[in-house]
This record gives sequence, structure tokens and C-alpha cells, in this order.
Amino acid sequence: MQVFSIRAWASVYAVLICCPVAWGVDYARDIRPLLREKCWSCHGVLKQESDLRLDARTSMVTAGVVVPGDPDASELLRRVLAEDDAQMPPRGEGTRVTAREYRLLHAWIAAGAEAPEEPVLASPTDHWAFQPIRRPSQRDPLLPDSLDGLIDRRLRHYNLAAQAQAPRTLLLRRLYLDLLGLPPTARQLRDPRPYEEIVDALLASPQYGVRWARHWMDIWRYSDGYGLNAQLRYSQHHLWHWRDWIVESLNADKGYDRMIVEMLAADEAAPEDLDAIRATGFLARNYYLFNRTTWLDNTLEHTAKAFLGLTLNCAKCHDHKYDPITQMDYYRMRAIFEPHQVRLDPVPGQSDLDVDGLPRVFDDHLDAPTYLHVRGDPLSPDKSRTIEPGVPALFAGFQPPIRSIALPHGAFAPAARPYVQQDLLAVAQARLAAARQAAKSVQKVERVTREDELENESASSPPGETSGGTVDGSAMAELRLRAAESHLAAVRAALQVERSVVDGGVTAETLSDMRREASRLQALAAVADAELALAELQEATQPDPKQVAAAEKRLASAGQALRDAELGKRPYQPLRVSRKALESPAHKQEDYPTVYPSQTTGRRLALAQWIVSSDNPLTARVCVNHVWMRHFGEPLVESVFDFGLRAPEPLHADVLDFLATELVESGWSLKHLHRLIVTSAAYRRSCSNLGADPRTLAFDPQNKYLWRMHVRRMESEVVRDSLLALAGKLDLALGGPSLSVGSDSHRRSLFYRHSRDDEHPFLSLFDHPDHLQCYRRERNIVPQQALAMVNADMVAECVTSMADGWIEEADSPAQFAQLAFFRLLGRPPTAEELQACEDFLRSDPAETNAAARAETPDGHGTARLAHAAFSPRNAMLLVHALVNHNDFITIR
Amino acid sequence: MSRGVGGLALANLLAQDAPAGPSESAGKADSSDFAPGSGPGGGPHFSPRARSVIWLFMRGGVSHLESFDPKPALNRYAGKTIASTPFADVQNPERLKKVRVVVVNDANGQQRNVLYPLQVGFRKWGQSGIEVSHLFPHIGGCVDDIAVIRSMWTTDDNHGAQVQFHSGRHMLEPRVPTIGAWVTYGLGSLNENLPQFIGMGPRYFDRRDGHYLGPAYDAVQLKIDPQTPLAYARPEGDMTGGEQRRVFDLVHTLNRLDGSLYPGDERLEARLKSYELAFRMQTSVPEIVKFSDETESTQRLYGLDQDATREFGQQLLAARRFVERGVRFIQIMHGGGAAGAWDQHSNLKQKHTELARQVDRPIAGLLRDLKQRGMLDSTIVVFATEFGRTPGSQGGNGRDHHPFGFSVWMAGGGIRGGMVHGATDEIGFHAVESPHYVTDIHATLLHQLGLDSRRLHVPGHQRLERDYGHVIHDILA
Repeated sequence: MQVFSIRAWASVYAVLICCPVAWGVDYARDIRPLLREKCWSCHGVLKQESDLRLDARTSMVTAGVVVPGDPDASELLRRVLAEDDAQMPPRGEGTRVTAREYRLLHAWIAAGAEAPEEPVLASPTDHWAFQPIRRPSQRDPLLPDSLDGLIDRRLRHYNLAAQAQAPRTLLLRRLYLDLLGLPPTARQLRDPRPYEEIVDALLASPQYGVRWARHWMDIWRYSDGYGLNAQLRYSQHHLWHWRDWIVESLNADKGYDRMIVEMLAADEAAPEDLDAIRATGFLARNYYLFNRTTWLDNTLEHTAKAFLGLTLNCAKCHDHKYDPITQMDYYRMRAIFEPHQVRLDPVPGQSDLDVDGLPRVFDDHLDAPTYLHVRGDPLSPDKSRTIEPGVPALFAGFQPPIRSIALPHGAFAPAARPYVQQDLLAVAQARLAAARQAAKSVQKVERVTREDELENESASSPPGETSGGTVDGSAMAELRLRAAESHLAAVRAALQVERSVVDGGVTAETLSDMRREASRLQALAAVADAELALAELQEATQPDPKQVAAAEKRLASAGQALRDAELGKRPYQPLRVSRKALESPAHKQEDYPTVYPSQTTGRRLALAQWIVSSDNPLTARVCVNHVWMRHFGEPLVESVFDFGLRAPEPLHADVLDFLATELVESGWSLKHLHRLIVTSAAYRRSCSNLGADPRTLAFDPQNKYLWRMHVRRMESEVVRDSLLALAGKLDLALGGPSLSVGSDSHRRSLFYRHSRDDEHPFLSLFDHPDHLQCYRRERNIVPQQALAMVNADMVAECVTSMADGWIEEADSPAQFAQLAFFRLLGRPPTAEELQACEDFLRSDPAETNAAARAETPDGHGTARLAHAAFSPRNAMLLVHALVNHNDFITIR
Repeated sequence: MSRGVGGLALANLLAQDAPAGPSESAGKADSSDFAPGSGPGGGPHFSPRARSVIWLFMRGGVSHLESFDPKPALNRYAGKTIASTPFADVQNPERLKKVRVVVVNDANGQQRNVLYPLQVGFRKWGQSGIEVSHLFPHIGGCVDDIAVIRSMWTTDDNHGAQVQFHSGRHMLEPRVPTIGAWVTYGLGSLNENLPQFIGMGPRYFDRRDGHYLGPAYDAVQLKIDPQTPLAYARPEGDMTGGEQRRVFDLVHTLNRLDGSLYPGDERLEARLKSYELAFRMQTSVPEIVKFSDETESTQRLYGLDQDATREFGQQLLAARRFVERGVRFIQIMHGGGAAGAWDQHSNLKQKHTELARQVDRPIAGLLRDLKQRGMLDSTIVVFATEFGRTPGSQGGNGRDHHPFGFSVWMAGGGIRGGMVHGATDEIGFHAVESPHYVTDIHATLLHQLGLDSRRLHVPGHQRLERDYGHVIHDILA
């Protein structure tokens, strides 16, 4: 099976250019990468052990390590072969050169150690991406102050001719797919409004948030919770709240800076704002039941990669080999996250956390120390020194001070929140109402209700004792009713306790009495529940003796608890309305307090503020690069998660900086960024080589200079959503719990569950993102995609709907073909294409006819047969072929 | 500064770089190394001994003590605590350190101190006289073609070790490509009508293979179902074969015409080709899992005639048919459930007997069939599991997870048959003679396929020393 992977091509290319030593050694190709891997971490810009740098010919020759033309005299060769203390790289600090590599070095030196004059960084801080972001025109007044100006300047410089703007309908299709992830309708393709107005309208559509949420969810590693059966091991249940926050934030054009602050520290920046706290799903997603270090490693790695384009993870075991990041930096960053934990808070209207809840983070272990792990081994912490929280020293200059923050009561005592209290009460009341209803329906004689009485009872007056009615209902209904009444009374009493704690205003003595009474009512309710449970078991025709024994035991211990409570010997059970994610499988929920720390360290907030500081040279650049790549198909900086020293300054560095400045100055408006990009002439160019200037084509076949638009492919979600949209079947509803991947919903693909255990079978074939890491989508072309597009039922249903609808609008095969071409591909067919389609529609294979005749019994089919020129079956097959057309899945 | 380069040192370097094997000299390996087109996707680095791999993985942890590594001392000391035997040092905490615990204080994955006697007998098989337990009589009959490696070790004491056996990385470390993905990445395709990397049977901990190589290097999961062995292998709706042919034809015509609007679009060319392949795959894949053209005796060889062996046997027969058609790597998992069926914390004897019955005859059938067709020379069969089981008993009738020493075996593709390599100590606790970490299996496979594991890497993704493994030269023919 042939696999056309961009990355695989790159590898093949890399191998092809590798040639025998005899063919001549090339410094840039053969030697430079070798020295970089083996030597530079100690003899380069980061460190100059023995005052030696091996990253420039001059320094190598001056130091006498390389003697051009004389391999035998070159210390470099002696050292790589040495087997004693002189061995390089030293034992344990890198693998030795291979024989092939040795020969390359030897041949290179023998041939004179030729190497181009390369600018070498004097200091790692000179690296381009570490420089402050400045508007290019401010740096150099001669530089244009627009995206197109900068790109065109380079085109002019190299005398390259740009392609014309893409045909309008193709451009609109490109724009719709880009901004909404949905194809335009026929009417939208003919929209007469100016292009810019359409751009604004699309950016204002709520579907924009759905489209771009998925892009950011790739980068931010969205994954629904998963584990083994009932045991949650990774991520969190109900993580879709974070997804909805992303969609809403994008639609509201919340600043990217604010989004980062909320994702890392909404619980510190806005402790009572549940909407904002949804954002901390970004951190909650890293939850891992079995190992805190792995959990934090993931948090650190992906926080740094996603926002900063730094491979901080490489500094976990030793100083970073290529970037100025030390192992100490790694553990300083770890200390920022050390106190945080994850919990599920109740959401308004639902107190059952299994049904719904808000996954969020909070600082739990405020004083948990962080130690450096020697060689990255968590079993070897260096306890001689506690690591203070902080950002990498390289950029620590603008780190805001870390200040702990006092939290409002509702933030750390969820049971005191008014909505939580109301919801708990409502649940208890609903239970009572249901029990009453049930009791009524089984009672022959109208019970003299105590309802009014009960409503007027103070919470401290236990139900059941004042019962005065005559009961002639079933004993079971009565038990249920009593249990519900007891439960309500207990809940009321507990809520009062929780509220009094917050509101204050009661003396310690009163509070103590309230707790004692609440405890008694809780015990009473437990007895009622236990009685009910036992009775329910005994009601069965053949009660299971084991279960009965267990229920009896439960009743006995509930009775004992009640006696203790009556003597004031049983402590009040605080209401447990939220659920902390277990720190270890050995823990139980009951091990954790119901009220969380009233302070938070402020560490994550400081980190977030540092990331979005205008002094931070990385954040805006990394963001722009991600957005650019998703519009143009190719990034400006190839290594999208690594802007470190290994990332060479990009060709369009000025474009990157222009857009980064615009982003920051617009208040980090992503919509502003989109608008700048999609309204540029560069974006609007045709993606075809057709009619290209031959010199341009020869000089820049890869389109590095952006003289045309890159060709892109729809992401998996866009393939499915487009089919459903064109069929008129797409349900555009926003938000809510993730859908099971087995459901054949017509909602947008974003809303399906996505985790290790949840991959949608159709979506998975089109390079659906790996939930563990996907900073960039693959664009493979594999035969299974073709099979899905031809054979999947979903596709067949969609094309049938399309053909059924469109056939009414067409009077001839030619018209139908034109119409289908236009809607599916955004362009009219060429004469040859039209001919091929007409021939197809007119052809009359026996089986197609038979199938068409089979459709006649339904009235609809008869109407369609009115087209004597072609059968509805042929029309459907034509549409089926067109969704398999390369230009359907391609964004032209 | 010293003058000259030590000849000895250079020779050492060469030996270490490209070890000499019977099939090629270091020099030969090195020179073909530079041939344009070798390496990722373009074929082997040097001349290969094998073309394909059939990877059989028993999920849950097969007891080495009841399969391929007999330890009579367990019978002698049965019921004694390890500490009271002469072998007490096996539990020396220093020697237990290599394990990296995932679930601290889990019910499983613990030291089991009271020695548990062998639950099944062993006998010598074949010319080589290698001992194999009574659970695997058919495999025993093939032992002269097998190299048993009795000295494997790994570092995960829980079933995440399944991930580790395939990727070389512990469960707590980042996911990296599996051996099947690397082979596919390194060698590319022999038959464009078929996926090059096929998976069958249950998976759990890691459902992807490619990871940073990309989804194109994930195993394509197949079922033994001639109707739909592969997702979307036939129209799910009412489209007839003839209609589908017409659709494919029209797509082809239109995509060809599209070339005039988009000259030089490589991806258009690729898509055209992918549709041709897709059309052929629809027939080629179902044909492989339809066994009607296999003789009754072949089908019996794989156990297709018996309920216990049918399911696994069908997968193995399909594997042979895939290998015949040039598929590179067929990864077959045996044993369902999250942990894997072979996880006998209790009822070891009964459950292992049952499971061994499901695989023993089909695997022996596969080896015999490959051999009689002359395919065994170029096909490596691997029988592996994530770890062994404790010499001590768990709950009186089971054994716990045991990462310190366990057995796997390989056959075919230039692997020497009828040999045992490496050994555990007297009670089967530690791999003591020629111990091998799991990636040594990978390195050996890659070597036989003509790939140098050290040269398989992707820029931006660091491989660790341990990821590369070392070729087990002793087992090469």
C-alpha cells in the first residue's frame, strides 16, 4: 500500500541526498548535523567546555582540533576514537560516532575541512525567536507595514510573478471551509457582497467557533476522560465543558492572552466565575491516576510546547542539549504546578456528579515541596534543596511576582454556594414528592396528609414522630415516604449548617448545636434508608440471604450511629458535593476533606501572566504560526512546537513579526488575525500552477515565497461535516455532552467523544488527531479513505439526499452536472468534464435501469422519472462520484 | 596532540557499528548503506535475511515456568519461602530496582514469596532436545526451528508492559512508534494492493502504532470476516458492484481531467493512485480471509476444524496468506480483556491449559506450513508476551506478574532453530545469562529485515539509547 505522507517524503528526500563519502562530503549536509548532535551541547553556543566551540570552522581550526587536509593530526578524530578518559562524547553523555560517521569526518578533514562561512550565535539569547517582537517597519522604516507588502517585496526581489486571485467561487469555498469548516451553499457561492463583508459575516457566525475550536483542541490536546471500566485513569469526565468554553471564547473573540490566563489559572484569576473556570480543563486533561510525575511531565511539556514553542521536556533529566534551558528550569516550572489538583464541582441544576459536573483545577497542597529528580528519576529526588517556583531563567526578567491569593468562600466550600444548596434541596423535595405520589396511588383511603404540617416544621423537628394520619397504604410506600421525609430534613439541617459557616452571625455554641442536630437527622435518615433497603430485599419472592444479611448489618450500624448521634458522639458529616480526582488508586473519596484550601498560591496565575506578557518574545509568534498554518497549509516556522535554537530564522520572519505585533496590539484578537490573513492578496491567490511564470515555477516549485496559494486537504471533521451540510442533514446545534462515537448523529464532528477509547470510525481514516499529541495534522492519502468515501453508508445517504434535492432543479443532464459540480466543487465543469458527466448520466446500464424502476412505486420516484434523459439512480451515482473527486476533499 | 589513529580502535568501532553476520560483512553493509533509495520507505539499509514478520503476542503474561523455561527447583522447594532457600538473593532489593512501578501497592505486581511448584510437566523435543511444557506439544514438535530466549526482562510490573514490549518505552514515558510502525516506516511496500502493516485480535493500552511517525504507520485492523475484513471494504448501502465500478471509473476520468487545471499537483496524482489501490483492495483483502482455496489439510493444520483453535488459526492462516502477498508486518494479539487473558493470578493450570490449547496447534501449523512452502526462510515468527509469572504463588493457585525474567521465542527468517539462548536463575526469577531488554528483539528483527535501528529516526524526536536495542547475534543462523 502506498502511503503518501509529507513527512515520509521528507525522509526519503533526506536519504536520497545522502551519498557515498567518495562522492564528496558536504559540511552542511554531513558534518554540521553530526557535530550538532554529538558535540555542540558542550562545545557550542550553550557551553564552551575547554573554551572550545565546534560550531564554526574558524574556531575548530584555530583551536587546532581540526587540521585541514591532515586527519591524522586532527585531535577531533583521535578523541572520537579514544577509549579512555579522552573519549568524546564522554561516556554516559552521548553515543559514540559510528564507523560511517567517522569516515565522513575523516574524509571531510582530508578534503580540506571546507565549510561555508556561517554566522554563529555569540550567545543563545541572540537567537531570532528570543528577540523582542517588533513591527518590521519600526525596525526598518524601509519595510512595508502590511502582510502583502512584505511578501510582495520578496517576490519582487527575486523577480517572481504571483498567480492571479483564485476564481471568486473557489475563493469563497476556500473561505467558508477555512473559517466555518462548512462548504458554502449555492446561494452563498453567488453572494454579491464584497469579499471583506463576507469575511466579517463568517467570523461572526457561531460555526466559526466550532471550526477553530477543533484546531485549538489539537494543540491543547483535548481528550475525553477514559480508563478501565468505572475507574477513571486519564483526563476527566465531562471535559466537554472546556470544549464549550473554547467554542464560546472564540466566538466572543476573547483575547488569546485572556484565554491562556483562564486555561492556566481561572481558579486564581476569577475564582467564582464558573464559566471561566471551565477553561482549566486544559490542565485537568493531564490528570493521570497512577503517577503524579507523568501527569506533571505532560502538563509541563505541553504547556511549554503549546504556548511557548519550547521543548522544555528535554530538560527533565539533564540540561537541554540545544536550548538555553537548564534542568533546574524544568523543576522550577514543576514547582509552579506542584500544588494543583483536579476536582469535579457541581454545576447549577445538577447535583449528581455522574450526570454532570465541572472538571477544574485548584491548589490543594499549598506547601508541597518540589525537588530536582537526579537524572530525571523520580526515585532519586535531591532533597537537599527545595526548588522555588519560577519560569525559565532565560526569560525570568519579566516574571511577575508570585503572590498567594485568598479565595472567596464559595470557591473553596462548594456546599455553601446558593445554587448548590437550592439544587440539593430540590432533589430532596422531588424525592419526597415522588414518594408522596406513590403513596397516594397505593392508598385506598385518602391519607390525612401531614404535608402542610411538614412544610411548617422546623428542620430540627424530626419527621415521623409527629405523624398523626391514618395510614392505609402499603407498608413499602410508607417506608419510602418516611425515608424521603427524613432525607429532606437532614438535607435542610446540613444546608443550614453549611450556610451558617459562611454567613457567620451565629455563636460557636449555636453552630455546635446545629451540627449536633444535623448529625442526628443524618443518622435518622440513614436508618430510614437502611430500613427501606432491607424491606425492599425482603419483598422479593426469594430474598438473597447474603444481601439480606448485609442489609440487616447496615441497619444495625445505622441504628448504632443514631444512638451515638443522639448522645452527641457522632460528628456531623459535612456535605460532599464535589469530588476530587483520586491522587492514587489506593485512595477513596472519603479520604479527602469536603472543604478545600482557602488560599491559592498564585503560581499558575504568575506563569500565565508571564506567558502573555508583552515582553514575552514567543507567545504571539507561536500563536500566529499556528493560525497561519491552518490558513495556508504550511507554517511560517516549520517546527511548530519548537522555536528554540534548532529552528532557523524563517524566510518570512517579518510577516511573522508583523502579524504578532498586530495580534498583541489588537488586544490579542484572533478574529483580527484571521481577518488580516484571509483578506490578504497572498491568501486569495489561485493554488494552481496553471499559467504560472515558468521562471517562477522553476525557481520556487515548492512555493516558499508564496507566489500562489498552497493546496490543502480537508481535515477529517470537515469531510464529514461537509457531506452532511451539502445533504441538508447537518445539525448545527452547539455544545453539550460529547456524543458516543457509535451514534449516527448529524451533529458537527467536533461534538463526538475523542479519547484513546473513542475514535469515530469514519473520522479516524482521515488523519484524525492523536489525542496524545497533534500540533500539526497529517495529510496522508491512503486507499482506506477512498473505500470510506465510496462505501460508507453515511456517504451514500448524503449523496442520495443531495441528488434527490438537486434533480428537481435540473431540466437536463447537462444542467444537473453543472449544478452538482458547482455545489460540490465550487466551480463549473470544463467542457470535457461536462461531457464525461453527461455521458455518465445518459448511460443506461441494465442494472441501473432496474434499480431506477425499483424506485418507481414511491410517488417521488415517479416524479423523478419524468426526466426521460437520465435516471435518478444515475444522478445519485454522479453525485457519489463527485464527492470522491479530488477537488471535493481538497481545499483549492 | 597524538599522531595517528589507532587501528585497533577503528576496528572496534567498525565491529560495533556493523556487526559481521554470515550474510554480510561489515564492509558490505556499510557500502550498500549509501545506496540512494535505501532507508525510510525505500527498502532496507543493507541486504536482508527476511522480508516479513508475523508477530504473535500473548496478552496478559504467559508463565515462562509453565511454557519454555522449566525449573525443577521449584518442585524441590515448593512451599518454602524464597528467603529460606539458597536463592534468597534474588530478592535482594538492589536487584529488584529495575522495575518501575506504575500502580503503587496494587493488588497485583507484587513479590510472591512462597515458591509454587511447576503446574505442568516438560519433555524434550526434537533433535535439539529442548524442553517445552506439556501445554505446547505442537510447538514442541517444531522446536528444532525455534530459538527460545529465556532471558528477557522488562521494567513494568503491570500490563502497561504490553506497550513496552512493542515500543521499548515504559507506560509512564511518552508513547513512541512500535516495532511494526518502524518496520513499515523503514521498508515501505512490497505489494501496493495491501496495507503493509496489519493488526488482528484485541488491543488495549495503546491503540496506535505510528505515534510521531503519523497515523499512516498505525496497523490497519482486520477481522476474519470475508464480508468486511476491513472497514468499508464493500458498499454498506445498496450500491451494486457494477454501479461501484462506474463510480470508480468516473472518479478516475474526472480526476485525470482535473490535472489540466492543476498541472504538477503531486497530491492529485497520489489520490488517483489511491483510488486504483482502493478498488483492488476491495477484492484482494477479502480474498485473503476467504480460505476456500486452501486445502482441507491446510485448514486442519491451523486448527480450523476445531472450535477451540478456529479463531486464532484463521488469523494465522490469513497471516501466511498476507505474507505470501508481500505484507511486511502482521501483528496478532491473543487474549481479550483489558489486562489480557493470560493473566493467571489464579487458576493458572486450568486457564493456561485452556489458552494454550487455543494457540498451540495453530502456531505449530503456521510454522510447518511456512516451512513446507519454503517461506520460513524469509519470514520471522515471534512468540512474545509482556512478562512472565512469579516463581512464588499468588492466592495458592496462581502466579503474579514477573518482569525480571521471562521467555519469548523466534523462528524463521535467518534465526537459528533448535537453540536456547540465555537463562534465568535456578528458580526462574532473574534473567542471569545474556539478559535482554525488550528492544533487543526489535533490533534483531530489524537487522534480519536489513534495517539498522540506529538509523531509524525522525528529526525533532529524540530516541534514547535503550530504544535501539542490541541485535541478539547468538540466535542468528
